[in-house]
Amino acid sequence: MPQNIRFVEIAVAGGGPAGLCAALEAAAAGARVVLIDRNEKPGGQLVKQTHRFFGSRAHHASERGVNIAREIAGAAAAHPNIEVMSAATVFGFYEDGVLGVEQAGRIFYLKPSRVIVATGAAEKSLAFPNNDLPGIYGAGAVQTMVNVYGVLPCRRVLMVGAGNIGVIVSYQLLQAGVAVAAIVEAAPRIGAYWVHAAKVRRAGVPIYTGHTVKRAYGERELAGAIIWQLDENGQPVPGTEKDFAVDTICLSVGLSPLVELLAQAGCRLVYAPQLGGHVPVRNAELETSMPGVYVAGDAAGVEEASAAMVEGALAGLHAARGLGYVQPDFESRRAALQQQLHSLRSGPAGEKIRAGLAQVLAG
Amino acid sequence: MLNFDVLIIGGGVTGCSIAYHLAKSGCTRVALLEKGYLTSGATGRCGAGFRQQWGTRTNCLLAKHAVAKLEQLAEELDYPGGVEIKQEGYLILAYTPKMEAQFKKNLALQKSLGIGARWVTPREAREIVPFLNTGGLLGATFYEKDGHANPFKVTDAYARAARRLGVEIHTYTPVQDIRLDGGIKTVVTPAGDFRAPVLVDAAGGHAAGIGRLVGLDLPVQAERHQILVTEPVEPALGPMVMCFYHNIYCQQSPHGSFIMGLGDPNEPRGYNTGSSWQFLMQMAEKAVRLLPVLKNARVVRQWAGVYDMSPDRQPVLGEVPELPGFYVAAGFSGHGFMIAPMTGQLMAECILGKPTSLPIDMFSLSRFSTGELFIEPSVV
Amino acid sequence: MRIQQHPVLEFQRGEKVKFTFDGKEYEGFANETIAAALTAAGVRVMRESPVLHRPRGLFCAIGNCSSCLMTVNGEPNVRICVEKLRPGMVVESQKGKGVLYAAEH
Repeated sequence: MPQNIRFVEIAVAGGGPAGLCAALEAAAAGARVVLIDRNEKPGGQLVKQTHRFFGSRAHHASERGVNIAREIAGAAAAHPNIEVMSAATVFGFYEDGVLGVEQAGRIFYLKPSRVIVATGAAEKSLAFPNNDLPGIYGAGAVQTMVNVYGVLPCRRVLMVGAGNIGVIVSYQLLQAGVAVAAIVEAAPRIGAYWVHAAKVRRAGVPIYTGHTVKRAYGERELAGAIIWQLDENGQPVPGTEKDFAVDTICLSVGLSPLVELLAQAGCRLVYAPQLGGHVPVRNAELETSMPGVYVAGDAAGVEEASAAMVEGALAGLHAARGLGYVQPDFESRRAALQQQLHSLRSGPAGEKIRAGLAQVLAG
Repeated sequence: MLNFDVLIIGGGVTGCSIAYHLAKSGCTRVALLEKGYLTSGATGRCGAGFRQQWGTRTNCLLAKHAVAKLEQLAEELDYPGGVEIKQEGYLILAYTPKMEAQFKKNLALQKSLGIGARWVTPREAREIVPFLNTGGLLGATFYEKDGHANPFKVTDAYARAARRLGVEIHTYTPVQDIRLDGGIKTVVTPAGDFRAPVLVDAAGGHAAGIGRLVGLDLPVQAERHQILVTEPVEPALGPMVMCFYHNIYCQQSPHGSFIMGLGDPNEPRGYNTGSSWQFLMQMAEKAVRLLPVLKNARVVRQWAGVYDMSPDRQPVLGEVPELPGFYVAAGFSGHGFMIAPMTGQLMAECILGKPTSLPIDMFSLSRFSTGELFIEPSVV
Repeated sequence: MRIQQHPVLEFQRGEKVKFTFDGKEYEGFANETIAAALTAAGVRVMRESPVLHRPRGLFCAIGNCSSCLMTVNGEPNVRICVEKLRPGMVVESQKGKGVLYAAEH
């Protein structure tokens, strides 16, 4: 069968923050990289983040996600060692290390020496009666509509989940002129950074911790939802119901790592609920149980975009080293990146991540 | 130390059917040991078709009785919602005069056994499958009582019914060793030792490995077979289209997706469930040539499973003469799912010392040493 | 509804584009997806679930979840949340699982 397989040095599947930083780091070391991204413009979910990032990489602190995306996607497009395949989907990772790629209805096969999988994560749903009514979205979906397309799918929203995404999206909805009726959080505490939570509180949005959705209602579209309180055992308390007339529920109840390619490649996966679900076992260099196959970003375990960028860089650095591309500052660069990851995961906010990582770090 | 009357190794459709049929006959001190989850081996990866169009009396009868049992399965096993049976036939294509002659011989045999398959011309074949490419086609055989069932549900139905009758099913319980102490077989697992006078090897592609634990050389080898499946669409293809010439099969499942596979003569033996892009390309090319409309269907998944191949591509059923109490139900070579309802019944009868409802002597392991192979002309 | 003024963002919507949805004419923009154009026009029911026929809307809006499958120019099961809008597109709600596209193309 005549089949052209293209040999490449490093292939990166996914052009979000992790994949872009992986490609940039590997390319900076001298490796030639093909970055495959399913969207027309790389940037992943950073393209809809209008809030400012803080903490992480010195040069991205206090930048808005959308600008970081523009910056690193632009750098990747301009880099002579990086070829960006946009609107292209990696559909298979085969037993002989070949990647199948579909672009505009055509099929390509790549045989990379190293593969970095940075496929991200998908939004989870939540089980309650009528949770499939039109008007019930992933919070990220509403964020995409509002911030990427400038389209408002909603007038009055009930946000479920008071983690960073839930609270940040609530604030962005307020900015876009949408009413946020309340934020509901099953846990007894708000999970988001206080800076973000304080903003929505100041705007007068009530946050109901220890509550969950009892049911949604509506004929063909969402008309409202009833929430109720949870006791200390997580059981609902009858009599505590509150009714909200809303046209939209945003579910911000976590993400599942997209590990299909890694699973097909034969990488060992472990269920680590703190990281969002099944994630690959890997070493400190982000190499999975399959030699030459690396993982970075949410596909490795759901964290913040800042951590994804640093992980991507680490994976890129080591994948390049494996091919003999080692810059003189390799050791100091690696130490700096590891230090950044360490500080991102320190303190009480990183507790869950650290517990998850303890289950998947090997070697 | 757990004591039973019968231990079954393998939680595929065959093992679960045997367990159910034993329990139904009153033999309820049965434990089934499965190293993964039920259907995690070949059952859950199979093409899910069943047919009665065979070329030997034995296989025709086996299939006919198995299909009759499948048709009644949901009722017999009290399985609400059913096992997704679709009976819109198998269309088996003939491209050479030799094939045509063999198929017509098969039809005569099938007719004598009450299997109403018939010869159809290329034009009639196109009436049955409107978008069939009939180029080079001499004709086909068709039987509308052949079809499709959901292997997960069939297995689950047997497993649930068996459990209700008292069978213990232990998943994620791999067999580490087997000890023979007189007539008693002790199966060593991480969950402890299981003991019984009767042991059934229904381990599919792992059957020979189980045999080796008791010093038995079973001529059953794993061979990878790959499948791909498209997006679901509204019903468009009634029958399973099967072609020995191109070595492929394709059927639309009740869910709406097209399931297809092919036989690769170059596939090495061995337990490999990896996917290949070569298969994807070959399969897509062959399927589109035969059913051109499929070129507009998106492939959503591909996967691989193993056939448990025997030298004559027919199962090994029954007790091993030199190892009393050690039974084999393996070597199904790609058609284990479709006959599993009968395999369970026949094995249970055999284990309980009853006369079997159909003869199974021809499936005895000893045929490989005496050279009396069972030749079935009608296989992919 | 479309956001006309945003404190942080400016939207590059591109050219106006006409398309039809279930036989009715709609207008959207070249730089957006079919789902964005329909959402802006107030359409929320994107499909019916194939078995229980429950109305379904967008869920993820980035191509992961298949909640928004429609028939576009005769092709079934198109994820309209990632399919870019093009002039003259014929977009249809999908009944059941969609009919396998039989035309040559």
